[in-house]
Amino acid sequence: MTRNDHIPEPENSQDSFVTTVLEPDQLSEAHKRPVPRRQLRGPLLLVLWLMRIYLLFMIAVVVYQVWSGLH
Amino acid sequence: MTSLPPDSTTQLETPPLPGTHITHEDIDRARDRQRVVAARAGRGFFPRARLLWLLVGPGILVMLGENDGPSMVSYAATGARFGVGFFVPFIVLTFVMAIVVQEMTVRLGSATHRGHAELIFARFGPFWGWFAMLDLLLGNFLTLVAEFIAVRAGLGFFGVPPWLAVLIALLILVLALVTHRYWTWERITLAAAGLNLIFIPVALLTHPDWHAFARALGTWQPFPRGGLTQATLIIILSNIGATVTPWMLFFQQSATVDKGLTRRDIGFGRFDTVLGAALATAAALATVLCTTPLFHHQMSVENFQGAEFAQALQPIIGRLGASLFALGIVEAGIVASITISISSAYAFGEVTRRPHSLNLPINQGKGFYAVLLLCATAAAALVLIPGLPLVSVILIVNVIAVLAMPPALIFLYMLVNDREIMGDLVSPRWANLLTTSVVILLTAAGVLFGVSVIAPNLFARLSGH
Repeated sequence: MTRNDHIPEPENSQDSFVTTVLEPDQLSEAHKRPVPRRQLRGPLLLVLWLMRIYLLFMIAVVVYQVWSGLH
Repeated sequence: MTSLPPDSTTQLETPPLPGTHITHEDIDRARDRQRVVAARAGRGFFPRARLLWLLVGPGILVMLGENDGPSMVSYAATGARFGVGFFVPFIVLTFVMAIVVQEMTVRLGSATHRGHAELIFARFGPFWGWFAMLDLLLGNFLTLVAEFIAVRAGLGFFGVPPWLAVLIALLILVLALVTHRYWTWERITLAAAGLNLIFIPVALLTHPDWHAFARALGTWQPFPRGGLTQATLIIILSNIGATVTPWMLFFQQSATVDKGLTRRDIGFGRFDTVLGAALATAAALATVLCTTPLFHHQMSVENFQGAEFAQALQPIIGRLGASLFALGIVEAGIVASITISISSAYAFGEVTRRPHSLNLPINQGKGFYAVLLLCATAAAALVLIPGLPLVSVILIVNVIAVLAMPPALIFLYMLVNDREIMGDLVSPRWANLLTTSVVILLTAAGVLFGVSVIAPNLFARLSGH
């Protein structure tokens, strides 16, 4: 079983070579197909907001620490 | 031959549209995949070894890339301030956390063929997407600044002026891109990243106490003198931030997609990640060992940027050892400046729906390459501003990375458990448990740091010091 038994030569037909070797979703054109939006509600939304508040607060702490360190 | 059959169906898996436009990027990726298919068809050791060689890359790059300038400075500061003790097993633990986190990006990228930023925007909408992007871009820019500080400091050891040092780093970054081929870029950057292991021979030159090293690994002792102080907490956070950061999530997932990994390659992607973590752990621990002699000499290292460690070590390990140490700092800064600026460019392209691949010719990927170079050039220029508090930037970068990680991990957790896009590759219960533990640990470390800043004397009172 040689390599050529399995793989088409790219020079023969470039498009068919690409669509044969790559999975459909690997084609750059596939990225134009939208991914459906997920509805966020309840605990998930709460966790996202808590994490956002946590990060904003901690960045304020870091800024304060840098400011106090420089002064 | 047919394309590889997916193991399960998801909402993303659909046949190609009739008249699908094939791009240059697709052709390059198909050529890379062709070699993988050929290697997979073979039997025996050599085809398997070749398959491994073809499929490794993103995992090693992300792990050695995260052994960046500020990380190596953090490890060096750890060795110089605390010697061999608690932080030796702690660093190993942080890399285990990194494996847990990064493995999810391999699965996510291989299952969906979409980048991390793209999926966050698509699944959660632009409101949450822009938050994630802001975290990433801010963190990446600060980290890039720190990388150029490291390059400047490292080359400064050899007498290279700052402007020339950052110019050399920028030139290497551009040189790695000129092939506009993911595979070539990956191999060039991997070769450069391999130089991170230069810290191992330097550590050997210090004649480490292997008995103390083994004891520390097994017992987590001795714990830092003075207990849990703000200084110790900053080192703890710096060491965590030296290993798990948001840019790594975005980079490895996008690189997995750009490389073209599929569901069948996930095992290799995991091996790649673990191998990268093992190599990076070895380099990190070697750096701690390198500077442990400074701990025994009670040397103050608070304002060291990298090259100063090399200068301080010179009487102990000689000019050659010190030069290798400085070179290691330079390498760490350059490789990370490449990977981090690419992670920003990937994310920008994914969000703005512009072409984003290292397989793009310059004329087809102007936006992608422009963002990449703009980020790097702006960071490089900032480093040259006189009077900038460079040491503060280096220390703060890793702390910010730790603080930004829990929100980033929540997005990752939600995506990797999303059956609509992952199919049967959703995380198993044990993986979710590990991820939750990592989120709790990182959040707790952040909260402790916050408390230490707001009430600096609290820990001293609690520990009776």
